[in-house]
Amino acid sequence: MDVSQVTVAAETLLKPFAVGAFAQTPGGIEAVIRREDLPAAVKALIDGRWGYLAAITGLDHPWPKAPKPGAKPGEPAPEPAGPIEDRLEALYQFVSGAVIATLRVSVSYHDPKLPTVCPVIPSATLYERELQEMFGFVVEGTPDTGRLLLPDDWPDQVYPLRKSFTGLGM
Amino acid sequence: MDTEQGVRKKFVVPIGPQHPALKEPGHFEITVDGEIVTAATVRLGYVHRGIEKGVEQHNWAQAMYMLERICGICSHVHATAYALGVEALAGVQVPPRAQAIRVLVAELERVHSHLLWLGVAAHEGGFDTLFMYSWRDREMIMDVLEGLTGNRVNYSCNVLGGVKFDVDEKQADAIRKAIDYLEPRTHHYLKVVTTDETLIGRTRNVGTMTAAEAEKLGAVGPTARASGVPRDIRVDSPYAGYPAFPVRTITATAGDLEAKFIVRLQELFESYRVIREILDKLPPGDLSVRVKPKVPAGETVSRVEAPRGELLYYLKSTGGANPDRVKVRTPSLCNWGSVLATAPGHKLADVPMLIAGIDPCFSCNDRIVTIRRRDDAETWTWARLRQYGIEYYR
Repeated sequence: MDVSQVTVAAETLLKPFAVGAFAQTPGGIEAVIRREDLPAAVKALIDGRWGYLAAITGLDHPWPKAPKPGAKPGEPAPEPAGPIEDRLEALYQFVSGAVIATLRVSVSYHDPKLPTVCPVIPSATLYERELQEMFGFVVEGTPDTGRLLLPDDWPDQVYPLRKSFTGLGM
Repeated sequence: MDTEQGVRKKFVVPIGPQHPALKEPGHFEITVDGEIVTAATVRLGYVHRGIEKGVEQHNWAQAMYMLERICGICSHVHATAYALGVEALAGVQVPPRAQAIRVLVAELERVHSHLLWLGVAAHEGGFDTLFMYSWRDREMIMDVLEGLTGNRVNYSCNVLGGVKFDVDEKQADAIRKAIDYLEPRTHHYLKVVTTDETLIGRTRNVGTMTAAEAEKLGAVGPTARASGVPRDIRVDSPYAGYPAFPVRTITATAGDLEAKFIVRLQELFESYRVIREILDKLPPGDLSVRVKPKVPAGETVSRVEAPRGELLYYLKSTGGANPDRVKVRTPSLCNWGSVLATAPGHKLADVPMLIAGIDPCFSCNDRIVTIRRRDDAETWTWARLRQYGIEYYR
């Protein structure tokens, strides 16, 4: 199967779940997925034997509160592209051969819940543990909520990969 | 994680001193019923250094020095994956000579890594003679890498946009001599691992993972290929110099520990072949192209084949001098799941070899293992677990 056929196969499987059009990237395609559709979208790829889950990447999108550098004093902060709130985003990166299909799911700080994909992909448990402790996602139904990377005495509700974290002040 | 009824006392002991030459410690919890493992889980993070966060506070060039040091054994592929990502965002074309040298160093790295693993896996099984001979032979590659790069570990071969150094004819001849020595030795090791009674007793039909299980568990690299799953990023998604110097995917079908030995050794012959090919046909030209300090905004994913399997880098730039996000997904993280899933049903004595089978990115003898039996839990050091396995099979 050549690259374009593999890409089209992914689009066909994900079309029922994608919000808006697929984005084309140099490596493949991206689709924005609503969190409630996430388990079904993942299942569609796995049942359709499209590749495997290579990684789940967390991103922090705090709403820019400071003016852009170079902005004149007194100028208003730039218009946010999305809702006016701090958000987190999880990228579910599936790969098949040379094609990367990314599912993008976005949640807000005050409701950072995501459904688990472990019933479909058991090995996702390690990635979900990392999302929880590093960013503060709450992955509902994930089988193991123990710390993966951070030490046992790391303070609760301190998420090191958020932009606001600048050290424990020690 | 609670899997059984009954009150249990669990003892957690802090990890002891680390062996300076070996890597990360980890904490395993093995639940046993008599001799048989019924469940296994892992706790990682003992050498978590916060590098993903750290690179956000450094510029794109400095970040490479930090990312190179995530792993000592596969430092070069980390730097390569990162550099390829930055070069994609920056839209630069790396000269072919540089891409070929990147592959040359990557394959030399694979050779040293697989020989290191051969020795460590033999050591875990109590076969110290094989450990000593393989590590002695590995010194040939370490000398070559030191001669080429100045370092035995952390070669620092890459710059953003290319490589730092060239390969001259004298170095090429030294590399050819080392490969000429190692090739027959590798044939010898292949014969040893497939005919030695003691080793076969601990590897044949042990830790068997079918192709379907390997796919479901997300295994990568030799761990997956030993079960017949043909995943190899050098072939599936060729990068750097691999389009010009392709390699073949090496697989086995048995899916047991013996198959994992066979795949890693057979892969070495492919590495030797492509190393010789690159030395004979190194393209002329520059060693690097300039990458500006501010990388254009965008996101990119780069994937490379580390000795342990697929290494994935996700980079995000917001147009500045520092990376906005670097996400590193190492192959061992994928392969842990396969160990935890195949361990149940095996004897406790098999656990050291099962863990060694995935070539985990750590080999510290001071790992701590918690053995949970019905009414209590004990903490064993790795040394004790390893010795238990050796004596069980004596």
